[in-house]
Order: sequence, then structure tokens, then C-alpha cells
Amino acid sequence: MDSSSLPYTTKDFELTIRELSDTYEELSLLYRLPEILSGMGVDEIAQQVVEEAITTLDVKTAALLLYDEDGRKLCTKAFRGRWDKSTIPFGDNSVIWDAVEGKKPLAFCKLPETDQVDFAPSGSPVLVCPLIGKEKLIGAMVLADRESQAEFYSNDIQLMMAIASHAALTIENALLYKELEDFLLFAIRSLVKALEASSEWTAGHTERVTEYAIAIGTIMGLTEKQIERLKVCSLLHDIGKIAISKDILDKPDNLTPEEIREVQRHSMIGAEILGGFKQLQDVISGIKYHHEHWDGSDSFMGLKGEDIPLMSRILAVADTFDAMTSDRPYRKRKAREETIREILSLAGRQFDPAVVDAFRKWISRQHPVSSP
Amino acid sequence: MVSPGNMKKVLVIDDEPFILMMIEAKLSEAGLNVLTLREGRDALSFIRGELPDLVILDWMMPGLSGIELCRMVKEDPELSHIPIFLLTAKGQDADKEAAFESGASLYITKPFSPKALLKMVNDAIGGQ
Repeated sequence: MDSSSLPYTTKDFELTIRELSDTYEELSLLYRLPEILSGMGVDEIAQQVVEEAITTLDVKTAALLLYDEDGRKLCTKAFRGRWDKSTIPFGDNSVIWDAVEGKKPLAFCKLPETDQVDFAPSGSPVLVCPLIGKEKLIGAMVLADRESQAEFYSNDIQLMMAIASHAALTIENALLYKELEDFLLFAIRSLVKALEASSEWTAGHTERVTEYAIAIGTIMGLTEKQIERLKVCSLLHDIGKIAISKDILDKPDNLTPEEIREVQRHSMIGAEILGGFKQLQDVISGIKYHHEHWDGSDSFMGLKGEDIPLMSRILAVADTFDAMTSDRPYRKRKAREETIREILSLAGRQFDPAVVDAFRKWISRQHPVSSP
Repeated sequence: MVSPGNMKKVLVIDDEPFILMMIEAKLSEAGLNVLTLREGRDALSFIRGELPDLVILDWMMPGLSGIELCRMVKEDPELSHIPIFLLTAKGQDADKEAAFESGASLYITKPFSPKALLKMVNDAIGGQ
């Protein structure tokens, strides 16, 4: 074909290809975004969306803001570049509020003098996109300080709106999920309170064990998700005691071997009580086996070593530490140092050595103790 | 100025002209010597003649499929060292294993990010 007969120059042609290439870049982002953001918490989503906006739109400053509960200010969830605001009260930086209230993106190649903002060099282009979820307006994204100093064109705005609407939906979902999760934790805590109210000896035990277990798990390098599960597991670990006779739990003398067996049944009963929660299967195993011994000796259910779930192994140490350092009906609490030595000496026997090692590190961070 | 003789040579084979143009624009902008073909037939002898540093191949092409061509390149002792990227449309993910079995070093799903592709090319052949 003779290209000289076309009203386009090679330069036009090159520009068109470059533009198509940009569009393709954007298309690929929109394909990737759902995959990248799935399963993330709100903070992670916000940070990821900011990073993607920075690369895709070639800006140096980007921030993602969410409404606070009463809807009177916007709070920064994630940002990069020249951004130093944690909150923007209603009316401040009015260009942002104009976009949010108007539910429309606003792009400025040069901000009007009256709409002064303090996050972009004067005269530089700014783009503000509202974040509109399925239910409602949840916040805004602000982009400024473009690498090329070019203004934001309609295709940039369109792309940013596509990113923003996906981000808004994902954040909204994550917030709802978080709300459900909080509700579950609240329900669990109420259940635990009901249990603890029935015996003065165990008051506060669950919260302390949970605190210790999380500290040990964190030192062992568990992921955020694993820690979340460990928390639920620790909160619920003694729930089976509801079914154990108060006479035994509150007995002022030493327990007979039969009574000890009876008390130990609480781990299995707890697992049974919670058995219907499909979402808690790992937690239930953690509870069921938290009185198993690492070396298999005296194991209630016959597990040993790494066959015992990690949550149970951590729980075993945290639970023992609190039980021994608290008063019980049948004995006074032991001295802290003595308890620590005893737990250290049981590494490899009753307890997983790796867990005991993390326990030792945690203890020595608080009050250094002399080694046994 | 880098002379064409020193430039890294990348061969792109795809039956979609838009993809060809786009990859060519992106890679040559970054100082790579880009050769293009619209189909897989005759590609093997072309590769023997040109000895590119890297080949980017579309999986689905009329005539000879990308994966067959990939296998042929990998079976040729003179050519087997050349890294190959396979491009495929979204939704054909199940064939990922087949792609690696054929000897491809990367498997890229369309639509891909041209920026990311350039980075992967540079990582594979040690460009800038």
C-alpha cells in the first residue's frame, strides 16, 4: 500500500501506536487489579491502589482517603509522595471536597487561586476522583505532581475512575468483612466472659493466655492471618470447661488422677461445642489438642510432635505459663522465675522446643532472667 | 549511539498486527532491535538465519502454533539456548504446564502490561 496517499504521517502513526500501547497498559491493569486485590485487608488494598495509580498515571503524589465514621472528615489510608495530611476536615482543600460531594472526578491543569491546596506545587495539574462503592460514597483519591508535568487528559480520568470504582467496591467489601469479623470476635469474647463469670479462679485467664500466645506466635514468625486464627483459638481454648463440674474446677484440694482426666476432657468438649463452625476447623483442632505432649507421653488423644497442630503447641505453653503463675483453688501460684525454669526444662518433653525457644525470647525481652 | 550490530535482537511472532506493532514500539523505544513475523510457518529457518537473543511467540497462530514452534526451537541444539516467551489469551491458563514442558521460559497472559513485558525482556537478555 502506498502510504503517501493517506492523510497521515509516519509520526501520526507512531503516536497512535503509542496511545494504543497506553490503552493496552491500562486494560491489562484492569484485568490484573481484581486478582491483585483479592483477599487483602483495607490497608493493603489502599496501599496497592496508590502504587498502581502512581505507575499507571505517572504521578509522584497519590493519596487514598476514606470518610471517617461521622462523614465529616476524610482520613488518609495510604499515600505516596508530597502528602502530609492524616485527615482533611470538611471544607479544607475544597477541590477535594468538591469532587467528593459532586460524586464526579475533577481534573485541574492549573488550580484556581482561590482553591489553594498545599500538597501540589502551584500551577501543577491535580486530579481528584471520588470513591463510590455499591452502597455509598466512601472517600476519594488524589493524584498530583505528574512526572511529565502534563495535564490529565480524558483518557487518564477515565482510567483513574475505572481504578477508583474497582478500589471502592473492594474496600467496601473488605470493610464489611472486617465488620463481620469484629462481630464474630465480639460474640466469642462474650461467650468467654460467660464462662469466666462462672468461676472466679479463671477470670482474666483467657485474655492473658491470648496475649502470651500472640506474643510467642509473633516471635515464631507467624503470618498476620495465622496470628488472627491463633487469637480466636486462644480466646476459645477453655470453652469446654462450661461442661466440667464446678465441684472439680473449684475443688480446693489436689485433684485425683480421675479428676485430672475429667478436667482434661474440656479440650475435646470445646471442640465438640464449636464443631458446627465450618469456618473454624483449624481453630477447633487447635483447641482439641492443646493438652497433648510433644513427646507423646501422657497425651490425651495420642498425638505427638508435629502431628499436634502448631496452634495447640503454642497454646500449651501460653496456657501452662498463665495457669502456673495464677492462684488456683488447689494451690498458690508459683513464682514467675520458677515457672519459667520449669517450662524451659520441659522443652522437648511436654512442649515443642521451637515454641519454648520463642517463649524464652519473649520472656527475656520483658525481664531478663538468669538461665536455669 | 549503539550500532545495530551490538543491539540485542528480539523476534516477535504474532498474527495480531496490533500486538506486533505495540511490542515493536515498546521494545525499540528501549533500544532493542525488533524483528517481526505474522505467522509461524518458515519461522524456524528465519530464526536459524537471524539467531535472535530472544523470541516472543503467540500461542494461537494459524499454520504453526507457538507451542509447536517453541518445541522445534528447543530441540535444535544450535537454537535451544534462545529464551522463548509464550503469549496467550486470557482463559487458556490450563495449558500453562504444556507451555513450560515445551521449553518456554515465560508464559504471559494477554492483556499484558507492555511496561512489564519490557522489564521481563531486559531481565532475560541482560539489556538496560
